[in-house]
Amino acid sequence: MSEKTDADVVPDGGTTGEESPQSAITAQFDKIKQTRRRRAFGWLALLVFLGFVTVQAFAAAELLAADFRMESLLNSMFHGANPFFPTISIGALPFLDITEYFEFIQQENLLYDPEVGGLLFQWPPNLGDIYAFFFTELGIFRIFGEAGVTLAMGFIGTVLGFPLALVFGTMGSERVTPFPFNFIFRGTMSFIRSVPAIIWALIFIPLLGLGPASASLAIAFDTIGNLGRLFVDELEEIEDGPIEAMRTTGASKPQVVFFGMLSQVRTAFIAWTLYIFEINVRVAVSVGVIGAGGLGFIVESQRGLLRFTDMMAALFAIFILIISVELFSQRLRHRLRSDEQKMGIWELITGFPNRMAQSVLK
Amino acid sequence: MSKIVVDSLTKQFGETVALDDVSFEVPEGEFVIILGVSGSGKSTLLRSMCGLTSPSEGQILFGDEPITAPRPEIAMIFQQHNIIGDMSAYSNALSGGVHRNGLLTSILQLQDKEEKHRALEALDTVGLLDEAEKKARRMSGGQQQRVGIARALVQQSDVLLADEPVASLDPGSAQDVMRYLRAASEDRGLSTFCSLHQVNIARKFGHRFIGLRNGKKVFDGYRDDLTIDAVDKIYGDIDTEGMFVGSSGDPKEKEVKA
Repeated sequence: MSEKTDADVVPDGGTTGEESPQSAITAQFDKIKQTRRRRAFGWLALLVFLGFVTVQAFAAAELLAADFRMESLLNSMFHGANPFFPTISIGALPFLDITEYFEFIQQENLLYDPEVGGLLFQWPPNLGDIYAFFFTELGIFRIFGEAGVTLAMGFIGTVLGFPLALVFGTMGSERVTPFPFNFIFRGTMSFIRSVPAIIWALIFIPLLGLGPASASLAIAFDTIGNLGRLFVDELEEIEDGPIEAMRTTGASKPQVVFFGMLSQVRTAFIAWTLYIFEINVRVAVSVGVIGAGGLGFIVESQRGLLRFTDMMAALFAIFILIISVELFSQRLRHRLRSDEQKMGIWELITGFPNRMAQSVLK
Repeated sequence: MSKIVVDSLTKQFGETVALDDVSFEVPEGEFVIILGVSGSGKSTLLRSMCGLTSPSEGQILFGDEPITAPRPEIAMIFQQHNIIGDMSAYSNALSGGVHRNGLLTSILQLQDKEEKHRALEALDTVGLLDEAEKKARRMSGGQQQRVGIARALVQQSDVLLADEPVASLDPGSAQDVMRYLRAASEDRGLSTFCSLHQVNIARKFGHRFIGLRNGKKVFDGYRDDLTIDAVDKIYGDIDTEGMFVGSSGDPKEKEVKA
């Protein structure tokens, strides 16, 4: 079409061939332009479609004509006998009265149980009490009071769920179990996932009664479904090379799976397990709400008593717990994944102010 | 005893013919180099020989038995090392011998002392004894390839296959790896098949040469037979003059005729 004229216009660029390079470039340029234009239209159409669908979803979720009662929300938050945020006036300025939170946290042992902690922290240290703390009172989790109960539920759920997740995740991979049969394992995991942990806890009540025990078991069950699924996905990504290499050594099938496949994903599996541990502590809070104990139960019971200030205090304790667990788990995952020389514990602690200052100055 | 016979081997991937009626016979203990450009069928041949790929027609006999699946008597060294990055060089070497042990023994590394010494010996053979506890992932490409060789040695096979073991290495490391490979196979009397595309390295290390082109065997002979004409037949249009400058030149440099 316009190629001829384009080629003619080109100044002496060595256009000796039958088709000048310049016109080939123009043709390619036009082709790219067209492809890009087509793609832009595609994206636009997708965006319009998404908007359309979103409006329908709003309608279904009764948000289109929602009755927002801002006043009642503000009222319950700041006024009344037991507001979420109790205020205290200093001069003319209102301040959040956090002492009320701390009073409740202390009174109900939300974050620290002085009876258990007293065994460990006393001056002069009493060897018998320290022994009692670790071996008769078994206080490593109990020292944290209600938060310790929640943390323990998440921890037990992860520890009990992990081995089964490993088995189901590995057996659910198509590379380990041939196609139709791996769906026995994947299907089981899907079924476990389709029932929320909170419902599993209800199901286990006849077995263990309503309490942290059935909640821990429920979380373990939940872990099989979720962690196992992450394992299956991770195993899809591995390289064939090491698997083939292990096959050529004449290794048995389980050995090929362990050395060829699992060794490739070891770090990833540990990192995912830590991630699921984080989630499990959160799940432990929500399972607590139905009466399984720990911080979740405190939130629910204070809500039932319409003591919203105390409920907020429990939420604050939950925040402290979750943020600590996440910080711990993320630092650990970072350490696992990084290839750098690892810092010793001592350096990790003593070097902290220095690293912090450097981060601030960056 | 462990003679290898490749008998009219043909392998097709859909429409593509990767190997077309390839036959040869190699007695025990020869160091065979398989030459050819990329896509000439070198990898397919080696993968068939170790049982990772099953032939479309023909067969490969190891001794008197046809090869149908991977077996401990045939070890393979890969271009991409395929060692386990998260394990130490020592554990990788040890993993070559897991076929002699059960699952738990191999996972917990409860092999007997003899087996562990064998792994260290193999690391010594490839010059990595001091690096035994280093993580494989942290090693250089040449070192990783040598770990791969050590693993193959611990396997205690009769046949050693190496699929372009030096293709991703710089010339210096390539010479090193080939030297270790040659020494190992001589010490242990292994039949070795090594595919290469650097003719000068091939000439330096090989006894016998098999040339493949478009899946067909176009050359089979010993060092004296590998003349410039023979190389031309294997490499076709490519200007092979530069390949005979000796080991000092960059072996990867190939000029394509316009």
